[in-house]
Amino acid sequence: MMRVEFFLLIAALVFTIGAVGVLIRRNAIVILMCIELMLNSVNLTFIAFAHERQAMVGHVFVFFVMAVAAAEAAVGLAIVIAIFRRRRSADVEDASLMRW
Amino acid sequence: MPLLIGLILVVVAWTVIRAIAPDRPWFAFVPVALAGAALLALFYPALATVEFWAGLIGFVAILSALLVVIHPNPMMSVLFLILNLFCVALFYLMLQAEFLAALQIIVYAGAIMVLFLFVVMLLNLKAEEGLRIGTGPQRWGALGLGLLFSGMLFWAIQNRGRLAYFAPESTGGGFGTAREVAGLLFTRHVFAFEAASILLVAAMVGAVVLAKRRLG
Repeated sequence: MMRVEFFLLIAALVFTIGAVGVLIRRNAIVILMCIELMLNSVNLTFIAFAHERQAMVGHVFVFFVMAVAAAEAAVGLAIVIAIFRRRRSADVEDASLMRW
Repeated sequence: MPLLIGLILVVVAWTVIRAIAPDRPWFAFVPVALAGAALLALFYPALATVEFWAGLIGFVAILSALLVVIHPNPMMSVLFLILNLFCVALFYLMLQAEFLAALQIIVYAGAIMVLFLFVVMLLNLKAEEGLRIGTGPQRWGALGLGLLFSGMLFWAIQNRGRLAYFAPESTGGGFGTAREVAGLLFTRHVFAFEAASILLVAAMVGAVVLAKRRLG
């Protein structure tokens, strides 16, 4: 059987890729997708630890993370559509009204 | 393990050949394909092991996550994210989380990704010229921070405590099934469940208000 560390390493790598993607991409939709990547890797970590400890609470956490991710995607994409309607671009550099 | 490493090298060689020769003469790929076939023929018993398939799925997951970040076309990013979600769902199956694997495919790859696809098509985003990524100190700072962060995570995984700090619950045979998840969800965590429903309603109303052209 696989060791838990394998899944933790995969999750750590995917989380790092998502975090770097949030920092370097300028397209708002790609940034939202990178946030989904990070949420998914955290879910994988939860499931791996739940399997190691044979405790079901991790599965309940993953359930709630999925609910929060759905809400976040809906609101985030609505904000992207609203910004696009006003500025004709999905670039986060163009949405600078509240920038100091 | 040699089969997995060999196949990864084959994929890397294939990518390098594509990058070097953009006009792609077909015979350039023949030695690479022959090497892959020879690897499969030499190490075919490894195909029956869980470790090989787990490594392959992990490789595809990391590759698709990288392509989500570096592909200039947002539509391809969405499709690679769906591939990544399927790989994570396969990991859930390996870790005995059958209900959540089904939920991952239905909710994530089904509903949320269709929402993303719909918005990408609605906004008609073209492939960006020259991959609009941050410039100057932000890019290098992000890469440095990413390396630092992944190093810290690897250090934590290497040195983590292996003692269970609470007694494992008696789960019986049905670990990870919908029955067990629902048993916890509707008894001990029922308040959080109801709060999640309020959150979803609030998000729905918020999305409608934000995306509506003018109110009233």
